[in-house]
Amino acid sequence: MRVDMSAEVLSKAVNVLAFLALGLAILLIIRSRLEGQVRAFGLQSFVLALLCTLIAVYSGSLELFGVGVALVAVKVVMIPRVLNRAVANVGLQRVAAPYIGTAPALMICGGLTVVAFYVMTPIAASNPLPTADAIPLAFAGVLIGFFIMVNRRRAVTQILGFLMLENGIFLFALLATYGVPFIVEIGVFLDVLVAVLIMEVFVYHIKDNFDSIDVGELGKLKE
Amino acid sequence: MMLLSLLLTPLTAAGLIAMTRRRALMELFHTLAGLATLAAGAALVAQVWNGRTISAVGDLFRVDTFSAFMVAMITFLGAVASLYSVGYLRAEFNGDHLPRSRLFFALFHLFIFTMLIAVTTDNLGVMWIATEGTTLATVFLVNLHQTRTSLEAAYKYLMISSVGIALAFIGTALVYYAGAAKAGEIAVNWSTLRAAATSLNPEVVRLAFVFIVIGYGTKAGFAPMHTWLPDAHSEAPAPISALMSGVLLNVGLYAMLRFKAVVDVAVGPEFAARLLIGIGLLSLVVATAFLVRPRNYKRMLAYSSVEHIGIVCLGLGFGGWGVFGALLHVFNHALAKSLLFILSGNILLKYHSAEIHEVRGLLRTSPWTGALFLAGTFALIGLPPFAPFVSKFIIFRAGLESQPWVAGTAVVLMVIVFGGMLASVNRMLYGAAPTELLRGDVSPGWLAPLAANLALLIALGLTLPPPLVEALQRVLKVLGA
Repeated sequence: MRVDMSAEVLSKAVNVLAFLALGLAILLIIRSRLEGQVRAFGLQSFVLALLCTLIAVYSGSLELFGVGVALVAVKVVMIPRVLNRAVANVGLQRVAAPYIGTAPALMICGGLTVVAFYVMTPIAASNPLPTADAIPLAFAGVLIGFFIMVNRRRAVTQILGFLMLENGIFLFALLATYGVPFIVEIGVFLDVLVAVLIMEVFVYHIKDNFDSIDVGELGKLKE
Repeated sequence: MMLLSLLLTPLTAAGLIAMTRRRALMELFHTLAGLATLAAGAALVAQVWNGRTISAVGDLFRVDTFSAFMVAMITFLGAVASLYSVGYLRAEFNGDHLPRSRLFFALFHLFIFTMLIAVTTDNLGVMWIATEGTTLATVFLVNLHQTRTSLEAAYKYLMISSVGIALAFIGTALVYYAGAAKAGEIAVNWSTLRAAATSLNPEVVRLAFVFIVIGYGTKAGFAPMHTWLPDAHSEAPAPISALMSGVLLNVGLYAMLRFKAVVDVAVGPEFAARLLIGIGLLSLVVATAFLVRPRNYKRMLAYSSVEHIGIVCLGLGFGGWGVFGALLHVFNHALAKSLLFILSGNILLKYHSAEIHEVRGLLRTSPWTGALFLAGTFALIGLPPFAPFVSKFIIFRAGLESQPWVAGTAVVLMVIVFGGMLASVNRMLYGAAPTELLRGDVSPGWLAPLAANLALLIALGLTLPPPLVEALQRVLKVLGA
């Protein structure tokens, strides 16, 4: 199923899509409603699936195509559904409360992107694959996901931060090596799915115990 | 064959327990599974101990002496903890809460299963999946008591460990990328990478190892990624704390060491050694700051694990005999720490508080628990004739030769911990016990398996049997040290 596509075209397309994925991570910071944030994550996963399919076509890898399908099933369909269910069940608290406001948060994201380029450019330069140019963008996604986790008080947003971090790592592996072997990718999806289901249970537990899903309430355990 | 039965025993047990409705049957499955896993583990170790490697399911599983070392630890301490769990749960839940007991027993074996996969696979991706699996299997165990504090501990544990382990995946992908350039898709196997290590791109490998140390270090309890550890280890029910502190931390360490073996060849041993000495010292400092005057005895034991993982890192960084000492210390610490955590369960059941100031007169109210707790503490802080004394001695002997300043600082910190822990345990053991407490240990019969820990701690403290030394040296050879 090898299709004629020059490395240059692929490289450009990959760059655009990786940039889009990063943009969606930043969109999550701007969005204040939880449903909007879940949608941003679903969209980002869909962009990654497109990227995955594109590389699958370019490299003629059937396995990678399978990874793309699994990605859509797990991260575009199942996980957003689980998260929407959680948002619906906890009711009311749909406004995501950050510790740092939107404007400074965006500046921090800019800074993190610079850091990502600083750390990953040498790695990208030494990598012969046509997809390698976008590696720093993927790593920026990882850092921004991490930032979302520490900046947000709502458990659901923290979970989304974790998922975006996970997406960044998936993209990173995809760009650097055309993905790790099939069995590993599938195992990772399974782990993430189970992790999200467990996190959902915890959202309910936190809600029941503290009557809020504000993880800032969790501060009992000290030295 | 032996390997498959080792892996299938805990998995089958978890499934059977999940479907059982009667407590007696659950306890039976649980106990049998603990012992059967130990038997299968012992048989596997016997096959591999002389230096042979065993593969199964194509190249998915590969057991060498280093894996065997871990299998021995997991199955032995797993069996001890599983025997004690039966008595612990009976006393804790008074025979009620059947669903919670079922959850406990089933997840217990799932937890053992994920650890065994992590240490027997050759595929670094599968090792990663299994390590994340250990977190997923234990998170509900940490929250078993379903209090606000256990909920907080479990949530923190889940989030921090998942992020940490995610970073380890970047490291794994980078190493795979470096290897795939040479060996193709098979480079996801540790044995392939190890063979190709001399030709890997050093720049990529160096960056990869930083991610590996942060990632798997989060699981291993390295400071500053240890923040979840005191919460999770102190909130979990005692037998699980024993396995998390005694064994699970070492699974994280194991994963890191597999990568270190490749990195040492690719970029020279200096790089990893410096990183580990820095982390080791930091872990010691962080733990010492808490252990000067701990308030909660379960947190005291948890922080002590951070201290000991720091000592192990120092040994690995010192090199030479330090690595030998570090491996020995991993085992000795596991023996002592699981003993103490199991006893902490008995203390908690008796006094219904984990605060040190609420526990008085332990030797009077629970003579067996108290005496064993004292012996375990002596072992942990490094008094002869217990085994940790020997391994600490070997580590610092090596350190004084290669890095005298580091070793000196570490010894000072250890002396502070020594004083802090001894004073705290002293307060618990003596004094006037609350009058309403009846005399006598909680379920003393279930403490019997701890005799095995104690016997080993003393035996290995008095002599280092030559077969053990040879076996450890074979592990060192696998690691290339």
